Amino acid sequence: MRNLFLFFRRHYFIFLFLILEVISLILFFHYNKYQNAVMFRWTSGISGGVLSVYRDISQYFSLTKANYILGEENAALHARMPESIYITDNNIHSRADTLFQSEYHFINARVISNTVQLRDNYMMLNKGSLQGVEPHMGVTTGNKIVGQVVNVSPHFSWVLSLLHSESKISAKFLKNNQMVSVEWPGRNYRIGIVKEIPKHLRINPGDTVITSGNSEVFPNGILIGVIDKLKVREDENFNTASLIFLTDFNSLGYVEVVVDMFREEKKQLKASFSE
Amino acid sequence: MGNLILRNSVRFLFLVLFQVLILNHLNLGGYTNPYFYIYFILLLPFATPRWLLLILAFILGLSIDIFTNTYGLNAAATLIMAFCRPYVIRIISREPEEAFGIQPSLWSEGFQWFTLYSLILVLIHHIALFYLELFRFTEFFSTLLRVLTSTVFTMVLIFLSEMIFRARERTRK
Repeated sequence: MRNLFLFFRRHYFIFLFLILEVISLILFFHYNKYQNAVMFRWTSGISGGVLSVYRDISQYFSLTKANYILGEENAALHARMPESIYITDNNIHSRADTLFQSEYHFINARVISNTVQLRDNYMMLNKGSLQGVEPHMGVTTGNKIVGQVVNVSPHFSWVLSLLHSESKISAKFLKNNQMVSVEWPGRNYRIGIVKEIPKHLRINPGDTVITSGNSEVFPNGILIGVIDKLKVREDENFNTASLIFLTDFNSLGYVEVVVDMFREEKKQLKASFSE
Repeated sequence: MGNLILRNSVRFLFLVLFQVLILNHLNLGGYTNPYFYIYFILLLPFATPRWLLLILAFILGLSIDIFTNTYGLNAAATLIMAFCRPYVIRIISREPEEAFGIQPSLWSEGFQWFTLYSLILVLIHHIALFYLELFRFTEFFSTLLRVLTSTVFTMVLIFLSEMIFRARERTRK
């Protein structure tokens, strides 16, 4: 017993190292698997506070650009107001209001932390469950895709960026509605990859890829990117292509969280059918 | 002694904030991210008890992890590096440890010694960090490139701060 004690005492350096290393590896694998979700709740108070102060300060530097973008967006929205529409056909516009019940609402939120250089990127928004954000809601900016909410706390939410090994977006071509899927292969935050392109399809550089609306996360027609190069794969059933994202993930300021008003109804319909 | 503790505590705070607020937002060519915070471990005094070395490395790595939401990743890599530090010092030194200054420095230990010392430890840390983050072998060589370019940037930062902030200590000697 005494010898055992002496043995531990002589090699305490190695044992202390092993204990601490095992603790950090347990932490690493545990929280990596659950995508840091649990720990995020505990520490979002601390890191969220520091990071939002940092954003408050750094935002002044891009104020001019932000104002410009907001002005542009205001103008675009004004153009869509009922007052701006020239009514040529009274029959359509006089119909009952229920026909125009909106399917999607949008919650405006600010990005307070964001990365693009890792293999798996996340971002934090300053709106949480108190403002109505829920997991599985889509996130867009302007009319462009950003990511998907994976976890919420009362005041913040944690978004899985499109720049993530787990993200797989159901998409389609704007010109002919052909379904494909979009993923991110890593390295460059501007370039993604389009998979499952049918062999017979004619694709040109510059073709636009949009969301398909099949996923219950994003509405139909959110912009993803434009085709850069087609890669013909002789030995597989589908072609792939590289794609340039229209979203600039490195300069995200304000984003919108997409709220699907009929999400519950769609879910119930699906569930009742599969039973 | 008290002065030494104070100086190291201030260095700890400064390096953590510098890393999470500035360096983590650099994105040099999509590949590279310098991890300059390990400079703290490099500069700990030679006489630091070895248990304290490990505890400090653990706290340092975990503080970085809290800000990047990668729990345990930086802590594990920094621990491996701190564990290797006494052995690296013993292997690369020709003279006995009594001949050294209080803490490692480009000026008191010489250019060759300090370069070898920091290069080995930075490489150990970066290899552990990047391959733990990846945790598969499919992107082995592109990750190796990230390790090497990040090591170059971290080394540049280490030498710059040796020359800017610690040149005064040389004249004092």
